[in-house]
Amino acid sequence: MEAKTALDSGKLKIWLIWGVALLITIVVFASGHSTPRKYPERKLVRFWHRWQGDWEKQVQKIVDAFNASQDEYEVVPVSIPGSGADAKFILGVIGGDPPDLMSMGSGAVPNMAANGFLTPLDTLMTADEKTRFFRDSYPAIRDIGMYRGHCYGVTIGADLMALYVNDKQLREAGLDPNKFPKTLEELEDWGMKLNKYDSKGNLTRLGFLINDLAYFSHYFGGGFYVHDDGTLELNTPQNLRALQAIVDYRKKIGFENVLRFQAGLNDIEGAASWAFMHGDLSITFDGQWRVEELRKFKPDLEYRVIPIPPPKVGGTPLGALVGGNYMIVPISAKQKQGAWEFLKFWSGLDNPDRAAAFYNMGGWLPYSPAVAKSPTFQKWLKGDRQFQAFLDILASPNCKAPPPIANLQFLSDLIDRAEDQATRGAETPKQALEELETKYKEESAKRRELGYDE
Amino acid sequence: MSRRSNHKAKQYLTGYLFVSPWIVGFIAFVFWPFLQSIYLSFTRYNIVSPAKWVGAANYRMLLTQDELFWKSAWVTIKFAIISVPLGIVAGIALALLLNINVKGITAFRTIFYLPSIVPTVATSVLFIWILNPTIGLINRVLALAHIQGPSWLNTAPWAFYSLVMMSLWGVGGSMIIYLAGLKDIPVHLYEAATIDGANALKKMRHITLPMMTPVIFFNLVMGIIGSFQYFTQAYVIAPNGGPQDSTYFYSLYLYNRAWKYLDMGYASAMAWMLFLVIIVLTGLVFRTQKKWVHYGG
Repeated sequence: MEAKTALDSGKLKIWLIWGVALLITIVVFASGHSTPRKYPERKLVRFWHRWQGDWEKQVQKIVDAFNASQDEYEVVPVSIPGSGADAKFILGVIGGDPPDLMSMGSGAVPNMAANGFLTPLDTLMTADEKTRFFRDSYPAIRDIGMYRGHCYGVTIGADLMALYVNDKQLREAGLDPNKFPKTLEELEDWGMKLNKYDSKGNLTRLGFLINDLAYFSHYFGGGFYVHDDGTLELNTPQNLRALQAIVDYRKKIGFENVLRFQAGLNDIEGAASWAFMHGDLSITFDGQWRVEELRKFKPDLEYRVIPIPPPKVGGTPLGALVGGNYMIVPISAKQKQGAWEFLKFWSGLDNPDRAAAFYNMGGWLPYSPAVAKSPTFQKWLKGDRQFQAFLDILASPNCKAPPPIANLQFLSDLIDRAEDQATRGAETPKQALEELETKYKEESAKRRELGYDE
Repeated sequence: MSRRSNHKAKQYLTGYLFVSPWIVGFIAFVFWPFLQSIYLSFTRYNIVSPAKWVGAANYRMLLTQDELFWKSAWVTIKFAIISVPLGIVAGIALALLLNINVKGITAFRTIFYLPSIVPTVATSVLFIWILNPTIGLINRVLALAHIQGPSWLNTAPWAFYSLVMMSLWGVGGSMIIYLAGLKDIPVHLYEAATIDGANALKKMRHITLPMMTPVIFFNLVMGIIGSFQYFTQAYVIAPNGGPQDSTYFYSLYLYNRAWKYLDMGYASAMAWMLFLVIIVLTGLVFRTQKKWVHYGG
């Protein structure tokens, strides 16, 4: 009897092991086919993007609209976390299994193009599309996707910055939002008046803060550029004045105080947690996507959006540096034409009015005035009037693209480092910019020695 | 004789057939890329285009023209110098405490071991919150004692030491090995020492620590290798090595060179420099073992 029980329990164990093994096999193999196909008979267009949260839902809606609009292609979107997206893309390309379309940070586009990862999009355009694209695009938006005369990236999510102003807090501080400062110096004074501190001197509300040297330098008539002939615009008087202004103002508030205050803010993009919504920031410098966020999550907030006023001397009104998400097609993509059809559909190259609704969904900037002037966009603008400030900046001749150079990422890192060193007081602004230029020259010399053409 | 040798050959063949999946995998995915990277370190290579031979240029530039190379190397060496001994001391101390026979000791062992199996990325994100200067747990506790804690991850000296502190979070992994080592020490040695009148301190100095030296040696070697390859925590917390390059670890700089600037040849040269340093250091540690590691047990 005992022997029989032992035998039964042995059999049970074997069955259990087989059962678990089968379950693991099913899970492993089932998860291998993770791409859901709604239209398996169509050509598959794999689209990697970096939007998450509420934006991911908007992207899905646009994809659904495209898939419903035709019967040749099926776009399948996959959201890739931004931090490792470029490395995943590179691995996809070398592994022979890249996406057909990808939204990439604008800073990476020239480097990827220079290294042969990207398809020149103008080779996918018809003659008519090419004419329309180069003629109709906002210049800065077009230029940022260009490298050596070819277009490698088309935006559907360009970013610009402007001031978001909390009207109520201004009035409480005795400031009239209708008489907003016309110069940066006046704005700084307002900012200091709007700061609030606790009994220990810690900031509890930040009136205004300037940072982001690469962007901010454009208000001083500067910017960080490397020209085709090799001349550099890095350590210039304009950039020095911009960095000095950032450093001086930061000193006034207290570097450490700002650091602690900012670290305490729960500031997730695409969600209802933006510090401005909750009154922690009175005047803040932020992107156009916040207009749509405020409409969704804080519709009763009394605010306005104003382009940052330039400095009193030597300032440039409506200065800006465009960045954001750029759509690229990998060189080894399997379905380039399908990718281009979808990109055309989303950007509005073929139908600006239809695409206007897509731009509005995510609070994105249109690629061309044709989209901005379309009836759908204009109707939306009536409800989100604050967005107009960004369109004004976008149309300005002072709105610029970063230099289309292969080592743009390296240059961007150097600019960030210079700003960090100067604001922390580790170097003077002059030293920081001198070091930036020296390091850039050294890197360029190294690259030339290794055989790169730039 | 021939039947026996045939049998032996068959046995070898069967053995090699069993290990062949691993051998094939090792050659294809480890050994071949390993050899390739030697070649690539002498080239300019961006992955998609064919590699172009540049001789020793990458090595020369690294050693003579790249300030960040030396900076990141120093950050890494400093980390190894501080974190490895600290990890050994903390691991042994913890193992000694968890070797005491008290009620619920297995639960304590589990609790201290658990952090070492939490994924590194999750731990890093957790520490970003714990070390937040305003709303973080540590500064809130310090505030109770009227101490204003530093901006841990945002100021230069503190960011580095925060990562050192974080490294102790995973000390449970080595603690288990020390604990196994402690359990392996023959009881009769302690009995003899007790008869000879040795106190606890003397037993620790003359029995526990010498008997533990093989385990300490193992953890020292692994700790040095791990410190020189330190990457994930630094990448999650400060992908650009800030503030002021204080957390720009060697592997982080290598990664940025490879994947951000697409300079695979240069990154391969960096990887080989790292490999050589690790080999030399490990060799040095191995050479010293005769003087302080006792294998009698």
